[in-house]
Amino acid sequence: MGKYDKFFALAKEAGLEQVELSISEFHSLNISLFHGEVDEYKDNNGYAIVARGILNGKCGSASCDVWNKDKAAWLVKEIVANAKVIENDDPIFIFKGSEKYHKVNTYNKDLEKVSIDEKMKNLYALEKALKGIDKRIVEVAGTEYSESTEKHTLVNSNGLNLVQKANYFTFVGQCVAKEGEQTKSGYDFFLGNKFEEFNPEEFAKKIVKLTVDQLGGEACESNKYKAVLHPDVVTSLMRAYIGHANAEEVQKNSSLFIGKIGQKIASSKVTIEDKPLQKNVFARWFDDEGVATYNKPIIKNGRLETYLYNLTTAAKAGVQTTGNGYGGGSKRGIASSFLSLKPGKKPLDQLFEEVGNGVYITDVSGLHAGLNPQSGNFSLQSTGFMIENGKKGKPLDLITVSGNLLEIFKDVLEVGNDVTVSPSGVSAESLLIKKIAVSGK
Amino acid sequence: MISKKLAIEVLNTALETGADYAEIFYEDSSAHSVLIENGKVETSSSNSLCGVGLRLLKNNQCVYGYTNDLTKKGLLALANSLNKSFHDKRLITVNKLDMIKCKNRNPVTRSYDDVPVEEKIALIREGIDEINSLKDPRIVRTFGSFADNKRFVAVFNSKEKWFKRTTEFGRMAFQVIAADQNGFETGFEGPGAQHAIDYFRTEKVNPRKTARKAAETALKMLTAAECPSGKMPVVIGNGWGGVLFHESCGHPLEASAVAKGLSCFSENKIGDYIASPIVSAVDDSTIPGEWGSIDIDDEGNLGSKRLLIKNGKLNDYMIDDLNGRRMERNGNGACRRQNYRFIPTSRMSNTYICNGKSTPEEIIKATKLGLYAVGFNGGSVDPTTGEFNFGCSEAYIIRDGKIAEPVKGATLIGKGFEILKKIDMIANDLDLAQGMCGASSGSIRTNVGQPTLRVSEVTVGGRGGELK
Repeated sequence: MGKYDKFFALAKEAGLEQVELSISEFHSLNISLFHGEVDEYKDNNGYAIVARGILNGKCGSASCDVWNKDKAAWLVKEIVANAKVIENDDPIFIFKGSEKYHKVNTYNKDLEKVSIDEKMKNLYALEKALKGIDKRIVEVAGTEYSESTEKHTLVNSNGLNLVQKANYFTFVGQCVAKEGEQTKSGYDFFLGNKFEEFNPEEFAKKIVKLTVDQLGGEACESNKYKAVLHPDVVTSLMRAYIGHANAEEVQKNSSLFIGKIGQKIASSKVTIEDKPLQKNVFARWFDDEGVATYNKPIIKNGRLETYLYNLTTAAKAGVQTTGNGYGGGSKRGIASSFLSLKPGKKPLDQLFEEVGNGVYITDVSGLHAGLNPQSGNFSLQSTGFMIENGKKGKPLDLITVSGNLLEIFKDVLEVGNDVTVSPSGVSAESLLIKKIAVSGK
Repeated sequence: MISKKLAIEVLNTALETGADYAEIFYEDSSAHSVLIENGKVETSSSNSLCGVGLRLLKNNQCVYGYTNDLTKKGLLALANSLNKSFHDKRLITVNKLDMIKCKNRNPVTRSYDDVPVEEKIALIREGIDEINSLKDPRIVRTFGSFADNKRFVAVFNSKEKWFKRTTEFGRMAFQVIAADQNGFETGFEGPGAQHAIDYFRTEKVNPRKTARKAAETALKMLTAAECPSGKMPVVIGNGWGGVLFHESCGHPLEASAVAKGLSCFSENKIGDYIASPIVSAVDDSTIPGEWGSIDIDDEGNLGSKRLLIKNGKLNDYMIDDLNGRRMERNGNGACRRQNYRFIPTSRMSNTYICNGKSTPEEIIKATKLGLYAVGFNGGSVDPTTGEFNFGCSEAYIIRDGKIAEPVKGATLIGKGFEILKKIDMIANDLDLAQGMCGASSGSIRTNVGQPTLRVSEVTVGGRGGELK
């Protein structure tokens, strides 16, 4: 503890019954290129401290980004003032610790050894490759390298002291393609913590392809179509869908999964798991309340297996927490960790064949505006392709797709085998679905 | 706060290796928020931010770093680390720092430091009482919140200038979730301003009116049919409707997109027609007390009113000094950042389409069959292609010149440069609405705005089939 002793002593003096600190110490570096020159170079060192404490059974919180004894005193003062106005009667917990933790390593020390020259070399190679692959690429809008190292500490007055360290890097490339009057842009992320896994030429090829493939598109007729959804689209929809497994939403009557435990809510092809212990950069072996996490299915063969709980909602429901207490503040929220859609056996080509004639939706945007998380209804700006005679056909321009999250996952006919892990920490595959409404011409 | 003497030493260290500009951005801010859920105070939290961002420029390059170590040793270490990016001889030495004076157009008469949390809770409770007085069993969950922020900023730069600025603002918000056998709908209202808490107890803005509006929207949308899809004329309501211009035209007119040739308007020159001749549009950071106003921007340029589009012709941009170098223009007071952790760049402030000559009634009357969109969830844009989308939270079908049945789930999409040319009627009821805008320099306060206007044809996405 050491460094934080002063805080715990002041908290005790102020009459706080239990207190907890969640501390993130981070270092990050971002380098971006534009037209062969370093455009931005950003080197950051920071702290983020969230403190909470219980006074007369109520929880108050405060946060800051500097650590010294004045701030420790300020945190205690604010926690007390905030706790005094809380009226929520829910049980609250400053956790003593789980019996056993299954540690997963999320820190690769070799990444720290990669020289700045090596990073720059890859960044220049990426920019060069983006420019050189296809003459319709008129501009490389930017390439960026970022890396981040974070040490997360959870320490409380009940003796808990947990530390997880993680590091990762990302490359981002963005380019602009032009043909006639039409302009299209495309970008992609690469995220990992093993530097040797990044190949700038392969990554550039992928970005160029997804950009130029959009050229020459036009809107299709407004209609309902049989469809294949790209894993990126599935990722976006799945996150919002699984939001309804949040036990707090269920207990407060605003979830579409109320009363559905054990019932079939999706196609039997659909199995979605929460896998915090999966060995990758997203792993979390304790949640923000200090509870040991574990892998579990949320939906298994279409059946809803469990809601996701933190300590408070679990106590209210009389069950064990699922280790999904995430988020800062006086009240811990609930979130999934590494979401994973179980892959099927069929490759993408075969999904196209099974569609025959329909649409292939590769991207959706404006989720914060076009998807109503409460009702599950969505209407989203999209890009994609026609599927004609079982093959990927001409690109689609300026269309929207709309539907409802519950219906989409009920309508799944097949799950592809193209496992794709997104930088947002979701593993998903292409989905073949019965129908989706497209608005175009 | 750091002394002028230390600031000069840090700037000169930063400039040692040939940077042509250096700038220290010091920030000390505090924020508080309280949330009442289903009638009970659920959370109350305080936040404090204190740090320094150091920015060095050389030609078109930008080097940035930040630290929470505000000691002399900590700041010099940051300057010495960042200056390693350059390898030339010193170009500039800072000998003095003169203060830039600017008007304070946004004084908050009673600081939020002096407002007890109980007073904020009482304010929100009035709104909650109003919702409860509706006694509608379909309302299943209510949220009311008040958030305030006090931000002190001091900037020192190698032009031998410095300034300090204190801003305070508050925001009151209500969200209502309503449910029936068919599902859930949400209503949200969140007015904000750089005014003391008394502003939220006026005739124009008060908790009862705001909360009631949020509840009514949720309940109305519960009975709404799914919005039809396809191309149709769309009448866009005043205030929040300005998100259309914000996304479709505002972002592409920021120097961060224009300077690098990455805006859909990059090939246009000042004076080119980019909109219908009845369209004039403004970004104005000088409106007293408004949510997006700033007296002086984050690099020391004074806030200003920029006429972006004049009678359909491109007239100006939002410009920061660095992107201005590529455009051979000076910054015009548009340089902003969320906090010291972000590199600042050109951003919007209070952006709106100017009043026209019609009335809202005339526009509705002139529309035989179309959509009337009045509430919005926000949107997004790709400034390079101009492709934008925005989602409607409240909309109606217009039939034979009259507002008819409510519809939900409408998303409008298009290309900014096309939509601006299709604006064929503009009313005289300009209003502004408060939002948060996210881009590379973080999430900042901006106002969107417009009078009621009509776009002759927009692609509407919805689940309700063809418009009949």
